[in-house]
Amino acid sequence: MTTLLEITSLKTWFPTRDGIVKAVNAVDLKIEEKEKLGLIGETGSGKSILGMSIIRLFHSSAKINIEGKIVYKGKDLLRLSEEEIRKIRGKEIAMILQNPATSLNPVLKVGDQIAEAIQLHQRLAKRAASEKAVEMLEAVKIPAPDKMANKYPHEFSGGMKERAMIAMALACDPSLIIADEPTKGLDVTIKMQVVKLLREVTKQRSMLFITHDLGVAAEVCDNIAVMYAGELVEYAKTEDIFKNPLHPYTQGFLNSLPERGLKPIRGMSPSLINLPDGCRFHPRCDYATGICKTRHPEMAEIGNGHFVRCLLYDRS
Amino acid sequence: MTEIKDLNRFWNAYKESRLGLIGLAILLFFVTLAVFAPYIAPYDPHEMFKPMEHPGSDHLLGTNDIGQDILSELIYGARVSLFIAFFVSVVSGIIGTAFGLLSGYFEMFGFFLMRIVDAFLAIPRLPLIIVIAAFMRPSIWNLIFIFIILGWPITTRIIRSEVLSLRTRNYVEAARMVGAPDTYILMKHILPNVFPLLVVRLIIEASHVIIAESSLSFLGLGDPTAKSWGMILHYAFVYPTIFISDLWMWWMLPAGLCITFTILSLTFIGYALEELVNPRLRGMTRI
Amino acid sequence: MHRITKITGYVAIILVVLSFNFFLPRLMPGDPLSFLTGAPGMDMPIVLDEETRAKLLTYYGLDKPLSQQFYDYMLGILHGDLGWSIYHNAPVSDILIGALKWTLLLVGTSTALYMVLGILLGAISAWNRGGKSDVGLLVSLLSIGSFPPFFLGMLFIILFSVKLNLFPAFGAQTPFMGYSSLLEEASDILYHLFLPATTLVISHIGGVYLLMRNSMLNVIGEDYILTARAKGMAEWYIMRKHAMKNALLPITTMIALRTGFMIGGTILVETVFAYPGVGRLLFDAVTYRDYPLLQGAFLIITLVIIAANFVADMVYVQLDPRLRHD
Repeated sequence: MTTLLEITSLKTWFPTRDGIVKAVNAVDLKIEEKEKLGLIGETGSGKSILGMSIIRLFHSSAKINIEGKIVYKGKDLLRLSEEEIRKIRGKEIAMILQNPATSLNPVLKVGDQIAEAIQLHQRLAKRAASEKAVEMLEAVKIPAPDKMANKYPHEFSGGMKERAMIAMALACDPSLIIADEPTKGLDVTIKMQVVKLLREVTKQRSMLFITHDLGVAAEVCDNIAVMYAGELVEYAKTEDIFKNPLHPYTQGFLNSLPERGLKPIRGMSPSLINLPDGCRFHPRCDYATGICKTRHPEMAEIGNGHFVRCLLYDRS
Repeated sequence: MTEIKDLNRFWNAYKESRLGLIGLAILLFFVTLAVFAPYIAPYDPHEMFKPMEHPGSDHLLGTNDIGQDILSELIYGARVSLFIAFFVSVVSGIIGTAFGLLSGYFEMFGFFLMRIVDAFLAIPRLPLIIVIAAFMRPSIWNLIFIFIILGWPITTRIIRSEVLSLRTRNYVEAARMVGAPDTYILMKHILPNVFPLLVVRLIIEASHVIIAESSLSFLGLGDPTAKSWGMILHYAFVYPTIFISDLWMWWMLPAGLCITFTILSLTFIGYALEELVNPRLRGMTRI
Repeated sequence: MHRITKITGYVAIILVVLSFNFFLPRLMPGDPLSFLTGAPGMDMPIVLDEETRAKLLTYYGLDKPLSQQFYDYMLGILHGDLGWSIYHNAPVSDILIGALKWTLLLVGTSTALYMVLGILLGAISAWNRGGKSDVGLLVSLLSIGSFPPFFLGMLFIILFSVKLNLFPAFGAQTPFMGYSSLLEEASDILYHLFLPATTLVISHIGGVYLLMRNSMLNVIGEDYILTARAKGMAEWYIMRKHAMKNALLPITTMIALRTGFMIGGTILVETVFAYPGVGRLLFDAVTYRDYPLLQGAFLIITLVIIAANFVADMVYVQLDPRLRHD
């Protein structure tokens, strides 16, 4: 398998009035062709910012600091000009943003919102792009797609909005889809339909699947990376994460699932402005020892592609 | 103690705005002129000398058509303009806030009051002022009365919508739950929270009053005994050769600039305050 | 439903203005006629000839009971009878109709210009928030907006008419000029329109600009802007196609309210440039204490503003698809 996207020591920081938000800290991550990679973490762990950093999805006047390397098909996305990265966005790498209720423009027809990207990247005429948009709506199984293309977002149900977001992402046949919490807020039946659809439409492409829903991640992903307080703490094949979670945070996260007893992790996730010294998880960790308060562990391979960032497994 | 601390914090945040500081400096300049007019002005503005004198050592800005020193008129004019603006914005602010608090808090009263406010807001303000002023004897107090009558509705509307959103906050609900009297809740929990908004409103109202007063005076509906900047412009404008001679340079320009800079200072201050009240205007990025 | 409440509101406001017009002269000390002839602050008393006096008497109908007077007054309004102008010695409605076209021309062109410019500049400013163009636009528009319209108009006359001799200082047309073609007439009218319209545009652009800038700053943080960017759309396109329409929605009614300010400015600008519109008539009416004309002009101005509000409501419904369907 070939590597499609390789992220090396990515850092995304941005200043606010209260201090610098260190949203992503020295993250290394690789996505193979056709790989579905899950990025798991609590709200505020920096996982959405990581997804947005890949295609630099920030307003030009926003004071955002992205460092490191993001190599996609041999090009470092962080070195591209604004003009060049725009040709990647939507065409090579598409992103499904979270919250379809607010991510669709309320005053534009859904069909037009899909067609505009097609018009831009595939240089089709307006009518051809509109026809393609209807096809996309059909591909995501929206009933009466030609009629629905002429409707506004407020006339779509929650599940249909999510499908429309997926159609929008697929429109220009991207190699990589970054899906940010695509199942958040949907009820169980619709959630399973959306998951099924996502699996279907990403058969021939890669996906970075950002979620805090472990159950859904298990359905979709080949590998899973667990993120905590802006950094990765564990990386393994999906079944290894579930059968043999190594990091105390991953274990805690799994134990908080309903089928494993609904035991929440004690304490609260740290603010990305004031990160704890040493291991970032130590204030909440049941296994923490003195050294965890001062020494920051590195990501280390324990065996067979299973990586963890924890001093419990540190042999040095 | 907490009030002083709050004030300090407020000032520190305000200082950040360069526009706000410039505005404050200009306003202070005019306030100083107004307060110390008798000490600063070279003459009594009503004293008559030789008419139509050009600027010279005796009269820095010359004299007008009936021989009054224009510089002294300008300095005393600051008194009239600023006094009216200050008085009207404070009184209509108090009335508007009282109505706003009550109408936001008591639904029925609010509903009826808002229909009245709507009517007031739909009728063009300056033309209405002109019509009323044309029927009334032109005096400062009549003008002030008209401005207050027409000034409170906007304040009421702004305060009311703020009260409506404050009402649903937890601490207000909690206070109601434990049976705190309405007046207590209004004064203790709601008033302090609408205060910043009110200050912005007062500043903007003051600048509207200055424009309205100078416009009325310019049209000849001002109080002839209390000469404001607008009144100076009125007399200059109706003078036959104002445009074709150099008279405008000392008779018209300084008075116009005084009005302009006063409005400018209030606009800048208002903008700086609004930035404080509405942090999103600061151009912070939401992620 | 929404529309019915709105229309009821407009009718109510027109009734309020009509009653205001009816009661104001009757509430003044003495009867309207003696008030008319000896108004306070008047330099010269008006001497009415017998014919005018008789016309005014029948118009006010003072010998009848108040309710009958009110009924007659309203009936007269419905037939377009706005009373008799003392100064012009002609029906108020005739004079107003002659002046209205000039005011509509002046207000119409300047409103179109200052709204388009204000909205565009506000959008650009917000899009580059914190940048050089934003700060530059903000400071310069707040500054020029601080000039009172009459002062700005006088400065323009001195600069562009007297000193540079580029544009005429007064009037709407060159007096006693026979036009050989429609084009010649139109260009003469535009030539006279330029300075007053520019004055109005400059003194009103700041308000719309600020409203649009603030509204745009809200919209920029919305998720759908991010979606558009994720599709690879260009910034300028996103601003135009995705942000501006959404930013306009919450401020259409506020922009319409500004027509009220605008009309106030028109009175002053028409006065300074001796432009023969309704505003100038209002000034004349004030100067000569021609109360029927004053009240007629006030009524017409109010109607224009209500019409503007009505248009704004329609635009709002057109802009927002969520309202269009119900």
